Amino acid sequence: MDVISCVGLTKRFGPAVVVNGLDLAVSSGQVYGFLGPNGAGKTTTIRMLLGLIAPSAGRICLLGRRLPDPRAVAQAGAMIEEPAFYPWMTGRVNLEVLGATGGGCVPGEVARVLSLAGLSDVAARKVKTYSQGMRQRLGIAAAMLGRPPLLIIDEPTNGLDPAGIRDIRELLCGLAAEGTTVFLSSHLLAEVEQVCDRVAVIAGGRLVEEGAPAMLGAIKRRVRAEVRAADSGAAARLLARWTARYTDGQFLVEHDSGRDVNGVLMAGGVIAESVTVERPRLEDRFLEITGKEDARAVAAGS
Amino acid sequence: MLWLLAAELRKLIRPLVWGTGLAIAGFCLLITWGGANNARSALASPRIPDVCVRAVTAQCRQVSAHAHAAARTAAAATSLLAQPGEIGHVAAGMLASVPGLLLIALVAGGHWGGEWGSRTIRQLLARQGRRTWVLTVKWLTIWAAGVAALVCCWLLLAVAAPLIVAGAGLPAADAPMWAGLGSSASAAGRAVIVLGLFAAVGTAAGAIARGQLATTAITAGSMLLALLVAGIASIGRLSPASFVQAWMNFDAAGYLPTNFWSRFVSGGQQPGELAGLIGIVLTSAVAAVIARWRFSADVTV
Repeated sequence: MDVISCVGLTKRFGPAVVVNGLDLAVSSGQVYGFLGPNGAGKTTTIRMLLGLIAPSAGRICLLGRRLPDPRAVAQAGAMIEEPAFYPWMTGRVNLEVLGATGGGCVPGEVARVLSLAGLSDVAARKVKTYSQGMRQRLGIAAAMLGRPPLLIIDEPTNGLDPAGIRDIRELLCGLAAEGTTVFLSSHLLAEVEQVCDRVAVIAGGRLVEEGAPAMLGAIKRRVRAEVRAADSGAAARLLARWTARYTDGQFLVEHDSGRDVNGVLMAGGVIAESVTVERPRLEDRFLEITGKEDARAVAAGS
Repeated sequence: MLWLLAAELRKLIRPLVWGTGLAIAGFCLLITWGGANNARSALASPRIPDVCVRAVTAQCRQVSAHAHAAARTAAAATSLLAQPGEIGHVAAGMLASVPGLLLIALVAGGHWGGEWGSRTIRQLLARQGRRTWVLTVKWLTIWAAGVAALVCCWLLLAVAAPLIVAGAGLPAADAPMWAGLGSSASAAGRAVIVLGLFAAVGTAAGAIARGQLATTAITAGSMLLALLVAGIASIGRLSPASFVQAWMNFDAAGYLPTNFWSRFVSGGQQPGELAGLIGIVLTSAVAAVIARWRFSADVTV
């Protein structure tokens, strides 16, 4: 069953189309990464998922209920951007109040999430004395209140130190192992690569790529073949069976086997100086994808 | 909804609410102290026309006697009003007039408008998507803060006012301590209705303004504007301030004022008591409709 299902999701603010016909399907138990540059429409999408803003078009189903059914939102745990709390209350009381807001929690639930977030020692301190990292942890603790089947988390590791980032990553993986579906918006691509089962890349309000991280163009291996300048014409003809680019005396071939590329070159009488297989980082691919989208947007605008 | 109500009541335990409550209570005490002192001054030196101060004519003796009698009557009325039973009129009148309006405006600003300013509205709505419930509970809790202030003021004045009057040297009231309790309770009950109106205006203001200061300003400003309109003879009777005046039936102030409202409302034709109640209910309903309409808009903070 899809825990999150968006079809043709669109949001306009006046003439600006912030989210444009977005289709998403997040299955139960997945850790789903939601990537995009600033202004891509990630937070707007999350706000629509949580019923904070209404879509201009399209539909959203959350946990089997179609929004704006408030019962669907109440079942999801959420942390949106920088979490905000009541500064005159302690961390514990903030969670108790939030728990009651959603219909109450079982006894001990607040202590459980405080412990999971590593905040038990400071739970009796007022939130106004918390550091940004502690507020971030409290936000995650609040999202976990009541063991929701779906967590929607926006930039969970903002303001955390490396140890905190590792803790949160492990926590999210642990929650996913217990069956919680996690919808994770992040600009930290390494985090998404390590944690997520599937990734959607959004740019200009549109979904530009979606799939398992290893299956995305980002993770596909590529072959870099270096040939002499005199052989470049012949090599280009031989490598035309694949998508290949020639820059600085090197061919970058969209294929995952160096053996195949070298074999084709050899059969055609071209001896490569070097043939290496490389695994591009998601970051590079991400910039490539979103860069193309930006270029398209600029072209459309002009 | 009860869980939500409990959560919202817990949010009221904050310095802003305590501070505002203390300020109102302090104001009531000051008013009582000032009223008692004015009554004592009047008793010590009644208002006698200058021409009669030194004259010993029979007419002047009569004028002087009248002035002394009037001062004694006023002092006795002040002593009676300061009894624990009667002093509820002062607490009810203060909370159902400008001081109560300011209290509600401040509480609405912090408790409701502040949710937007501090962006906690996102957490609130992400956990409780029923916006009608949220609005209803916000209105109830703002109202509850006003009612709690009313009860606290009455209790405080019930203890302090007799001491203040005795300290001022006014004659003891010629009535049992709990005389007038019924009429005070009736006035308090009416004030509770008025506080409901103020809370409804505050709730609508929060949904419109989406910020702490703006919510306070709109709540206080709209009702103060209504008070100004109430002073216009031709349309004043249609002002919500006139509805409050008619429902509370505020008297003209004596030495110890029982409200800060009646002096602003014109002496022209005013609605009756029932019309006042209907007006208050209708005004609250309009505020509720505006609040629900505005609250259904996107939350982008």
